[in-house]
Amino acid sequence: MLQLHNVSLGGRHRFDHQFADGQIAVVLGSNRSGKTNLCRLIAGLDSAASGQVMLDGKSLDGLSPARRSVAMVYQAFVNYPNLTVAENIASPLVAAGTPKAVRKAQVAELARSLQLEDLLTRLPAELSGGQQQRLAIARALAKQARVILLDEPLVNLDFKLREALEVELRDLLVARQSTVIYTSSDPRDAFTLGDEVLLLEHGDKLQAGPPMQVYGQPRSLAAMHLLSDPGANQFMQGDQNLAVRPEHLHLQPLSTGAHAFTLHITAIETSGDESFVHGDVTAPVQASNWVMRMRGMTDLRTGGLVQIYARDEDLQRFACG
Amino acid sequence: MAEIQLVDVSFSYPGAAGATLEQLSLQVADGQAHALLGASGAGKTTLLNLLSGLLSPDQGRILFDGQDVSRLPGRERHVAQVFQFPVLYESMSVRANLQFPLTNARVDVDVARQRIDHVSAELGIESLLERRAGQLGLFEKQLVAVAKALVRPDVALVLLDEPLTAVEPKIKWQLRQVLRKAQADLGVTMIYVTHDQTEALTFADQVSILTAQGILQSGTPQQIYEAPAHEFVGHFVGSPGMNFVPAALFDQPQAERLGFRPEWAALVSPSAAALQGAVSRVRAQGSQGGEHVGLTTIVTQHGEVHVHGPLRFAVGHEVGIQVGRYVLFRAQQQIGTGRWHAE
Repeated sequence: MLQLHNVSLGGRHRFDHQFADGQIAVVLGSNRSGKTNLCRLIAGLDSAASGQVMLDGKSLDGLSPARRSVAMVYQAFVNYPNLTVAENIASPLVAAGTPKAVRKAQVAELARSLQLEDLLTRLPAELSGGQQQRLAIARALAKQARVILLDEPLVNLDFKLREALEVELRDLLVARQSTVIYTSSDPRDAFTLGDEVLLLEHGDKLQAGPPMQVYGQPRSLAAMHLLSDPGANQFMQGDQNLAVRPEHLHLQPLSTGAHAFTLHITAIETSGDESFVHGDVTAPVQASNWVMRMRGMTDLRTGGLVQIYARDEDLQRFACG
Repeated sequence: MAEIQLVDVSFSYPGAAGATLEQLSLQVADGQAHALLGASGAGKTTLLNLLSGLLSPDQGRILFDGQDVSRLPGRERHVAQVFQFPVLYESMSVRANLQFPLTNARVDVDVARQRIDHVSAELGIESLLERRAGQLGLFEKQLVAVAKALVRPDVALVLLDEPLTAVEPKIKWQLRQVLRKAQADLGVTMIYVTHDQTEALTFADQVSILTAQGILQSGTPQQIYEAPAHEFVGHFVGSPGMNFVPAALFDQPQAERLGFRPEWAALVSPSAAALQGAVSRVRAQGSQGGEHVGLTTIVTQHGEVHVHGPLRFAVGHEVGIQVGRYVLFRAQQQIGTGRWHAE
């Protein structure tokens, strides 16, 4: 188990956190939330973060990066430019003194699972961006570290490639039984990859837990926003701050006691799979910049007024201030 | 602003084995927001460079309002470009950045001031005008880069090359909305190049799917999504893409394959459907009406199938897949669409 104790990422509060063995934790936060500093702290690299890191009850403090059982994959593709694909994958095994026969078998297996088997004799410069990042991931996995850190590894990849890799990556990582920490600013990654999600904002830990639990019971408006894409829709009622997720607004009242709102539509976007209806609420409360997220295409038009509904169970209530 | 036409344009890089673009034709109406959607290697950048005048076609013609500009240098085409990362003079104020292209184009000082005011109001950056560009955040910088492209009164075409790459996912839609509104209000012809289907479909009036084989389809986002002209379009657009199974399973002898979107199907008991399989993966994406919803992957005799909806079956369960809407293909070309059940 990987334990963080009394960690500061430059936020208002120090915090503790435990990452379970064999689980993937998605660390979700926007730019400058402290994600990269957290990874660097665990890896033992220079970091603005401070705090104690314990692996299986032993402190890693003072241990150089090379002496920690930690592998890291960065956003930008980092490979040895003058080594072939096969040599790159083998490099951590060579460093660990793995016998040649074992090494060969492991390189072949990793190359197969990351679909690099036909590229083994190429140099990194002869690979596409997606292939280079798969190579960096293969090298990190070859290290057979107890902890694997992936710092927004797919952010620079093509949409379709990313979609395919996300699914493969989950299977590969689960099979390693390592503790995996995967940072992202995209809430979808928490659901696709995460057994657990850890929400960070401005260096503070907002909430952690299984993604669906955090989604269903956000402890704060900030936590709700962070695990929502687009962000949650807010309004005030008395001394309460209420919020509802974009996908929980509907054109029909789905249950008795549903709350009705009049939305003045200011823009409509569609991605094919989904449509996003943007607008301002004019009744019974005043609220601006709402978004309704619907499956498929929509016949709604910009400029119109539409009645929308939210189930009472889908409203989250937060104390003001 | 101008109507843009590419007529049978071919281009090969010197020494390359094959043509990067071959006999490509494309039509973009005056004042249209047009997205070119394609994967890496499809020739998106080459096409942009042909439009901006950095490259000239080997064959074919590029027309702006009917006038052949194929051999004209970039500056005479009046094309403005927005790049992946904002390109600004960091030490200058935002106003000076916007003034720069106008001074170069010898625009009258009063006209220039009006233009700057108008465009910055449209993009909501009036309050940034006196600030130094280097002090701005990435999102604001990219807005200024867009303003710089739009500010010239004589601009015929604005090219956007993956302009949201550097912007965080959570605020991408805001920039997209501002762009979209400015495009419509100013009546600008825009060509937006991206590999991201969400960006292409949300931004554009018309989307063209560019592949190494040429443009496979040009159409409204709805046509592209609901009636893909080619199997590749069905696969490439949509996340995950369209499912394809043998059309014979559904008694469609005129077609070879039948395609359906993950949300066009429902999971039922195995005996109630022509297509069955075992659930291999379940991915929750949220909840609806208190029930978990997301993506269920089913391994069938004809490959993996993805179905979006309520998550009622666990991994290992045998299920039937009831298809509601479909698209028919023969030799990868679409030959019709239909539906069986009211949705």
